[in-house]
Amino acid sequence: MTLVAVGLNKRYGPTRAAGDVSITLRTGTVHAIVGENGAGKSTTLRMLGGALRPDSGEMTLNDAPYAPLSVADAAARGVALVHQEITINRSLTIAENIFIGALRRYARPLGIMKRGMMARQAQDALDRIGVKISVSTNIDRLNLGELKCIEIARAISSDPDTLLLDESTAYLDHREVDAVLTVMQELKSQGMTIGFVSHHLSEVLAAADDLTILKDGRFVGSFAAAKIAPDEIHRLMVGRDLSHGTYPPRPSPTVPAAPAVLRVREAAVGRELNDLSIEVRRGEILGLAGLKGAGAEALFAGIVGDEKLRHGVLHLAGEEYHPQTPRTAWHDGIAHLPGDRGNEGLIAGFSVLDNLVMARPPTRGPFFDRSRARAMSADLIKQIGIRTASADAPCRSLSGGNMQKVVLGKCLAVGPTLLLLNNPTRGVDMGARVEIYGLIRQKAAEGLAILLSSEDMPELIGMSDRLVVLRQGVAAHEFATLDGVEEHDIVKYMT
Amino acid sequence: MNEISTVTASGKIVAPAEGWKVPRIELLRRGFPLIFLVILVAVFTAMSPRFLSLENLSTVLEQGTVLLVAALGMTFIIMAGSIDISVGAIVAVSALVAAVTSTSLGVWAIIPAIAVGSVCGCLNGLLLAVGKVPSFIATMGTMVVYRGLVLYFTRGAPVSIGDDSFLDAYSGITYGLPHEVVIGLILAAVAWAIINYTVFGREVRAIGGGERVSILTGIPVMRVKILMYVLLGALCGMAGLLQGARTMAATSQLGLGLELDVIASVVVGGTPLTGGLGSITSTMLGVLIITLLSSGMNMGGVDPYFQNIIKGIVLVTAVFITIDRKKIGIIK
Repeated sequence: MTLVAVGLNKRYGPTRAAGDVSITLRTGTVHAIVGENGAGKSTTLRMLGGALRPDSGEMTLNDAPYAPLSVADAAARGVALVHQEITINRSLTIAENIFIGALRRYARPLGIMKRGMMARQAQDALDRIGVKISVSTNIDRLNLGELKCIEIARAISSDPDTLLLDESTAYLDHREVDAVLTVMQELKSQGMTIGFVSHHLSEVLAAADDLTILKDGRFVGSFAAAKIAPDEIHRLMVGRDLSHGTYPPRPSPTVPAAPAVLRVREAAVGRELNDLSIEVRRGEILGLAGLKGAGAEALFAGIVGDEKLRHGVLHLAGEEYHPQTPRTAWHDGIAHLPGDRGNEGLIAGFSVLDNLVMARPPTRGPFFDRSRARAMSADLIKQIGIRTASADAPCRSLSGGNMQKVVLGKCLAVGPTLLLLNNPTRGVDMGARVEIYGLIRQKAAEGLAILLSSEDMPELIGMSDRLVVLRQGVAAHEFATLDGVEEHDIVKYMT
Repeated sequence: MNEISTVTASGKIVAPAEGWKVPRIELLRRGFPLIFLVILVAVFTAMSPRFLSLENLSTVLEQGTVLLVAALGMTFIIMAGSIDISVGAIVAVSALVAAVTSTSLGVWAIIPAIAVGSVCGCLNGLLLAVGKVPSFIATMGTMVVYRGLVLYFTRGAPVSIGDDSFLDAYSGITYGLPHEVVIGLILAAVAWAIINYTVFGREVRAIGGGERVSILTGIPVMRVKILMYVLLGALCGMAGLLQGARTMAATSQLGLGLELDVIASVVVGGTPLTGGLGSITSTMLGVLIITLLSSGMNMGGVDPYFQNIIKGIVLVTAVFITIDRKKIGIIK
């Protein structure tokens, strides 16, 4: 089944979401669509899958005209789309989730479900994509990658010839990404045509036969994956050579070592962090690697007082420190950038200014000092390079990268001595990443102690001065330097 | 689709970074109260020419003051994304306290009235902030308790207010200005200043905009929540006092159903129930609309039993237009 699209266009008001995109999904191959955030990858895939209707452009499926009006319409033609978001309902069983769109097929008179039959067919679908999940598994025990596989099984259950997988794997960790890749290879071996969207280049090169590069909503070109070098892909995606310069250079280590800002002794928080001892020094970026739930998030929650320490002792600037609430933590010079920007980092409906001064609003007597707030936010916008129409524009009018810069600005506005970063560049495009990395490094050079937790391995390797790998709530390994350390050196301590 | 950017669940954004324009639905939300007011005035003037007379408008202002004072407090609560349906009962409790103490304290009955209102509000705040009981349920319970207190102590009999200094202070007229209207406007100015010029006002708004963000950013969420309920309680205390002075008595029926008018005023003014937004001027506009609606329907001879139907429809329509559906996610 060959799916050909020529000159697809999609606009939202003045914004070009996808411009003049031409793409050919060859039968039985894996075709990756790559680009920075906002390049139009998902838009393109969704047009192919019937979730969006292009403003203009032609599509054919095996030389027959193809213009799906909906996802269901596309599915009827044998094209199935797996959305970017996880759409699993955790209060249903695995089988029910797989057949969520066709539950009536399993209804007896009076609406009683044929559970046995549904479970058998669900298991068949899971077996077909080659994942080792039993339908009787409690759905709460599955990780995000496995949930993604269930979504794939759902898409496969309509028996399509073409699978479109919108997988911006920013939210999946390495093991989970591997599970999805394995499924893709399995389906390809069964002769299925696959189109997929991805963030990570290494993954693209491992899986794709062909790739199409998009940039800023424009079509850059299609290439055979074997014939294009990673650096070249990067250059075409970003429009500049990033082989050197993504990560700012590390300063040479100072001797003697700077004093410790935060010392954690045998700390345990919640169920995830069991017994961790670390310290981070002035001007140092300490990386924390680990799978989701390995303890970094719990550690942050414990340090800022969002969750109680079960046991253990913290020292802040040499003195014993008892976290109480996030409020007292900010007061004591600890700034925290949470991992979930939309729900924890900023209020998207509020203006850039409101978000920037939220942690410590300037006051004059009992009143909010608007003119100082204005000066403060103007400074931060300039210093951090937040691209916004004005300080009064709502944050939701900004790109993901600029929103994240606002959260970072909120942290820096209080002049912290310790900065906790949880996936600071999640959902942030490459251009903004480089700026954020530069800023973080600059702040470290000015003496800020930084704890950096991330699921992005290259980021951890590129930014950390020292790295601790967490596994099941304890330190599994420490890298005193990251010179010459490769991703797989770290990953092997993670599981 | 319009110019507003769309944020997907993973935080990915499909957006223009510059040239952000106010989306059309937002303009409708802002313009709706004013349009509604104009239509209302036009319809009622057509029905009864006396409607626009100075005399009637001055009566409308007097009638609207009790509603305004309570709605000022409710604006904070709704901006923070909470609700309080015990306001009518707090007004009744406070009116009773004012009536009982006015014989001995005269003008100074204001102190026990506001104190009792504040205590009632504080209890609501504690239930919500410390007890983590959803505000709707918590205040539904306290509504019954507060109203029950009034019934228990009065046995259903009205307590009349005869103290002249009290009545003169809170329902008299000086230079043609009704005292309660002046008090209402001063309180509105204070509430306006609190929302726009204090950190507390910003914190209330932040809690409504995103509670989890507020907690993690170090806003004293618990304290702010309790404080805003105390503020609402105090304003309801004042409203009860004014209502008692107007009717020269506190009855067990006083303020019955007031919560509907108060919430409707705030929402019809354009403050969405989803929180994060709101202003005192909107609330004043909403109070004007709700009061004119009642007054106009009375003058126009609309069946009193039919009036509640119209009020309910207005409330639901206002919620329909103002609510931010992206924020509530699933409607249950």
